[in-house]
Amino acid sequence: MKNINVEQYIDSYLKKVSTTQMIIIPLIFLLLSLFILGWSFVSTGTPVELGVEFTGGTIVSVESQLSFEEVQQQFTSQFPDTPPISARDAGGGWVMLQFASMDEAAQMKLNKYLTSNYGSEISLRQMSAEYGQDLQLSAVKAVIYAFLGMAVLVFIIFRSAVPSGAVVLSAFSDIVIAATLMNLFGIALSLGTVAALLMLIGYSIDSDILLTTRLLKRRGKLDDKIKGAMKTGLTMTTTTLAAIFILFLVSTFAQYISSFSRIDIISDISVVLLLGLATDLMNTWMLNTGILKWHLGREVPIGKKKRGRRK
Amino acid sequence: MRDEEVEKGLGRDPRILLMGGAIIISLILLLLPAIFPDMGFGGLRYGLDLDGGSWLQLRPEGAMAQIDTDIGDIITHEYSSFLNTTVTVTGTTDTSVSFEVGTLVTAKQIESLGYGQAAVSVGMGGGSAITLQVDKNHVISRYLENSYKTEVVLSEDRDGLWYEIRKQTSAEELEDILGDVGGSLILYKDGVSQATLVKTKEILEDKLNLFGLSDVKPIIVEREYILIDLAGIDIETALDLAATPGKFEIRIRTEGNESIHAVYGDDIQTVGIHEAHNGVWGVPFTLTQQGAELLKEAAIETNAVNDPLNHEVIMYLDNNIIFSAPLNDRLADNLKIMPVQDMSASFGTDSGSKESAKQLESHLRAGALPVNVEVIGSGQVPASLGSQFKELTAIAGLLAIIMVSFMIYLRYRRREIMLPMIITSISEVVMILGFASAVKWQLDLPAIAGIIVVIGTGIDHLVIITDEVLYEGKLPPTKVYLSRISRAFGIIFAAAATTIVAMICLFWMGFGALKLFALTTIIGVLIGVLIARPAYARIIKEVLKEEQE
Repeated sequence: MKNINVEQYIDSYLKKVSTTQMIIIPLIFLLLSLFILGWSFVSTGTPVELGVEFTGGTIVSVESQLSFEEVQQQFTSQFPDTPPISARDAGGGWVMLQFASMDEAAQMKLNKYLTSNYGSEISLRQMSAEYGQDLQLSAVKAVIYAFLGMAVLVFIIFRSAVPSGAVVLSAFSDIVIAATLMNLFGIALSLGTVAALLMLIGYSIDSDILLTTRLLKRRGKLDDKIKGAMKTGLTMTTTTLAAIFILFLVSTFAQYISSFSRIDIISDISVVLLLGLATDLMNTWMLNTGILKWHLGREVPIGKKKRGRRK
Repeated sequence: MRDEEVEKGLGRDPRILLMGGAIIISLILLLLPAIFPDMGFGGLRYGLDLDGGSWLQLRPEGAMAQIDTDIGDIITHEYSSFLNTTVTVTGTTDTSVSFEVGTLVTAKQIESLGYGQAAVSVGMGGGSAITLQVDKNHVISRYLENSYKTEVVLSEDRDGLWYEIRKQTSAEELEDILGDVGGSLILYKDGVSQATLVKTKEILEDKLNLFGLSDVKPIIVEREYILIDLAGIDIETALDLAATPGKFEIRIRTEGNESIHAVYGDDIQTVGIHEAHNGVWGVPFTLTQQGAELLKEAAIETNAVNDPLNHEVIMYLDNNIIFSAPLNDRLADNLKIMPVQDMSASFGTDSGSKESAKQLESHLRAGALPVNVEVIGSGQVPASLGSQFKELTAIAGLLAIIMVSFMIYLRYRRREIMLPMIITSISEVVMILGFASAVKWQLDLPAIAGIIVVIGTGIDHLVIITDEVLYEGKLPPTKVYLSRISRAFGIIFAAAATTIVAMICLFWMGFGALKLFALTTIIGVLIGVLIARPAYARIIKEVLKEEQE
């Protein structure tokens, strides 16, 4: 019964939404996102907030009976020159503190204090600001090269400008909108989230390639082909979304059920993938589908013209 | 009867055989240590973030420069400030510089700056005429050594000859120093040569071994950094061991066991390679000008210059005696009148002395790495947190599989489709883990994230195959089936290729932590596309055939 429901939804979606709407709505989101990222770039110097790996600094987690505010207070009075810039409850009795980048001597002092007061049961991560800058550059390069590599590959696979362009545009839009959502939700760019953005390139392309292959290479009515592709594609994305949602829940909220601590890197990766894949639903089934519909619908008159000329 | 045929068909299919074989090998690899714990092979290794421990990322400080300068100018500049008189260069050849100075000097005095061997004659107007046998590169590096008070070595690569300054500096600072002698800087880059990087890594490894950490292997990343993972060691100890240079000190004996301080390790400018000089094994090293002055003062104060045998020179590393010997007579005589920078710690002529010399060299170097290292990143994960992470990711993985099974069931409403899909997915995980244990990868959190991604795309691809095959809701005739399957694989290969391209970029850009993630994803995608998905296509066909018949 449920299967039929899905098909009915797809049917009514394809009937109600015009090709123009399919293309325009995602483009509006894309432009809006570009605007937000640009504005953030102008006002803060980076399109997305940068995590400690990229800015340099120190993240410390200690096990403490005290509340995170009290622990922050304790460290602020102990290290007035390099106070923690933020603190939060990391679950399972752990408190996470973040410090700005400091010099080696200050770092040594902090380490000594930590080991003598909290023993060796502390979690610590420190990156120098200088290395963070190198890393920023590498991250930007990695995303750009990965994207270009993907784009070249797509053009080789389809050997046709408009369908390939549509796939690449949709992947571009996925990344841009995902980055914007990161910006709006205050998710910092960390090594984990850069990885997630790169994964998004691979992930989001799957459904676009499915759609394009089905529409270009299969015979039959265009709407039927779109319907078939949508059914498969939606299954793909929703299963993935479901799995990643679980990952997000467990890595982020396990702390409230039992004494587990949160796993930041997995939490970061899963939340960006969730946002990106949700965006991808729109970009694949509106933007990419819309462009292909317009493109394939346009081809018929061109074919007629050719025949006309031959006469 | 029919069932038997089906079984046979499946059992003989190379794709099924391949996957079956891969799974069995993987399982053996994974379970081996549980049965034979002492074999030291197979099983999973976990990264620091799962097993606990600390890590350091170090950058050797230094600079590489290509330089053009006139050695005559260097000689003029150096000797006029050293002798406090006028210096006039009268001739320069490839191997010598002749110059005149305004005072009477000895060859020893001239040679004490370390530029070369000198021949001195009386010059006009009460001064001296000197001919110095030199090597151009040596003069330049010696000048830089004296200016920076640090070791400067030559290194050659395909871009030409570089002077490696083993100290943090900047292009501006170097230009200033060269400006004093009219020289110019052609090329400059921060960092040290590959050879020095490797040497630094090896010394760190030796040093860690010295403290009983024989399984710690520092690695070089991005041709610039040294990464050290220390399982089970806390960050404080790690920093002490790896990032803090050993404390080196030279003292001179006064009476009995008493001694006075002469020079600290930071006044050791260079350490040479142990060598036999006239058959006597020794380690040459040089002191800074300040160090040479200090040694001279200490030698005079203790009377070692007149009675060397009773006032030995003793070297300490971290308060352990690593060398002790009297000054030789010639050095003692020289120290009476002037500081001496070039020294050699000598042993005997036998092979035991060679070993001692070699050991002293590595001790001198362990005390001072070829270059200072800057800690640019460090971290620690306590073992308790790591084991929590392990549990939590296992729980997340299991829940994710259950969730995916549920979604697939919702969509197809058929257990015969859901089960092969889920089993194929789990097999992929087993094969990736098997591969990881075969090549001794350390599984860390990013790698686990990579595996999850692969499983995600894996399920996507299985859905594509299933939907192509099931287009009309039932299994199509073989010919149509084959064309459908090949189209499905067209989509899958294209999708896999894009993921691999993206991950190769990530791997190639080489962020330390994400390299493993990229590699895991690439291997996982390959295993999925080449082994698991073809086998699934075969299984699903068989399942549907069975169902229809």
